[in-house]
Amino acid sequence: MVDVTTFLDITVSGIGLGALYALIAMGFALIYKVTGVLNFAQGQIAMIGAYGVVFLGTGAVLSSPLPAFAALAATIALGIVLGIALERIVFRQFIGEPVLSVIIVTLALGGIFSGFIAFLFGRNFRAYPPELTFGSRIDLVAGATIQTAFAIAVLLALVVVAALMLFFRYTVTGSILRAAATDEQAAMVLGVSIERTIALAWTISIAITAIGGILLAMSSDGAGFSIEATGIIIFAAVVFGGLDSIPGAFIGAIVVGLLQEYGSFYFEGGTAIVDVGPGFGEILPLLFLLVVIVVKPYGLFGTERIERL
Amino acid sequence: MTTSERASTGGSASQQPPVVELDNVEIVYDRHFLAVQGVSMEVQESDIVALLGPNGAGKSTVLKMISGIGRSERGEVTRGSVSYKGEDVTNYGANEMVDRGITHILEGRRVFEDLTVEENLRCGLYRDGRRFRFDVEDYRIAFEYFPQLEEILDLKAGYASGGQQQMLVVARALIHRPELLLLDEPSLGLAPKLVRDIFETLVEINREEDITMIIADQNAKRTLEIADYGYVMENGQVELHDPAAELMEREEIKEFYLGTSGDESRYRDIRHYKIRKRWT
Repeated sequence: MVDVTTFLDITVSGIGLGALYALIAMGFALIYKVTGVLNFAQGQIAMIGAYGVVFLGTGAVLSSPLPAFAALAATIALGIVLGIALERIVFRQFIGEPVLSVIIVTLALGGIFSGFIAFLFGRNFRAYPPELTFGSRIDLVAGATIQTAFAIAVLLALVVVAALMLFFRYTVTGSILRAAATDEQAAMVLGVSIERTIALAWTISIAITAIGGILLAMSSDGAGFSIEATGIIIFAAVVFGGLDSIPGAFIGAIVVGLLQEYGSFYFEGGTAIVDVGPGFGEILPLLFLLVVIVVKPYGLFGTERIERL
Repeated sequence: MTTSERASTGGSASQQPPVVELDNVEIVYDRHFLAVQGVSMEVQESDIVALLGPNGAGKSTVLKMISGIGRSERGEVTRGSVSYKGEDVTNYGANEMVDRGITHILEGRRVFEDLTVEENLRCGLYRDGRRFRFDVEDYRIAFEYFPQLEEILDLKAGYASGGQQQMLVVARALIHRPELLLLDEPSLGLAPKLVRDIFETLVEINREEDITMIIADQNAKRTLEIADYGYVMENGQVELHDPAAELMEREEIKEFYLGTSGDESRYRDIRHYKIRKRWT
């Protein structure tokens, strides 16, 4: 029944998928950590990354598209520009306002982004340029293989999590970003510009989220609206990791990726041990989310508020 | 009171502009709430200035408009002017004032709770060219005045005791290398022994590091003891101001703030006195 090689294969692709989610989840956790905002547009921002490559690199909209890898680079640059622009135009207006207003704004932004993409491309699957679709798989030990997009995601996610951890732990700017998150005013009197803090957080977050979106699209050879749903799935990851913890988001995302792969292999369709029904793979992470919220509301590494009595 | 008079009362170098000068300042919050009215104040270089008065008198508001942090709370100077070392800085933001060397220690021991003591201190380095790296040597000045902190560097600041937290916020501000330090209620909620220690350290810092200070505190006696000059605020206005030593001898100060008046005063008398004072 449970064949070891198959199990290994599924585990590997679970980790790969998890690493993709991890990029998007870390983008989410970063914003929460620095600004206290739950970004409900995260799935749509990932989708902007995914469709950005379609926009720039295929003939879908432009008559003379860029070469595939130039389109890839340009899309990532676009993500950075989007981060700066959003801070300038939108989020700066909400400094000093309740965090809830910003959260609602992210909901609105999500709607705008997904509407805009639907307007440009329709709600259809759009294939990537052939240079960016890796049909190939990389061989691992014991007969297991990994999709190239997943392999890139795993490496990239590891680099991002390590870089962010080192940044927050060992630099003055990293410390001050965490400080500004706990007490904005007390950080301001130390010379922190809240505008710059927010701009930095959004820029990094949107850039890594867009990269996550691109890789997610690459793993299925093109961009589709299903990417929008990752905005919800990564919620399970981030809550499990503890919302404001970046390594937590990473680990949570890997767990969610594994759950989803196990769920869709062992609990649905022809390969199932127990056939629960189609789509159970996507449901499992969300069931997991419910359990986490009940059992461990601060997640694995979340900051429990220090209450003095 | 003119500058020349002020100089004769013991202030330093009269030709230099005062470090802080408030000229008939009116502060309005949220466009409607009048917090402070007609406040004039002068702070001479290297002095410790006491800002006294009951809760809600406007002490914090004045400090916040000097440090610029009040702007982020929708405070605005609607009349009069604030200058810093002769430069008009009315309604400047916190950023601009930090660049000029002002550090504000906010009321209520605002340590960054989730950060360790060491990381809290590190945040004090941020002003210095927005730096990225740090060096434990940079903390030397903090350990010089607060050696205790060196022993709890890895403790989460939220778990430090009240006294340690107060030391930490002052130390963090020192690492910031300010020229003017604004302290809002440094003695709040601390045991008398700790208050004495903190205030003694503040005097040392003032003398040795040549940092000008404005201290707003409810503990009028302690504050006046270490101050060179004092202002007493009430209802958003300055009621009295004098060199600290003279202020301490004033009957009304003894009565209301120091609690050392000879006769036991009754509430009715106080009210009567207040009314009389308003009209003179």
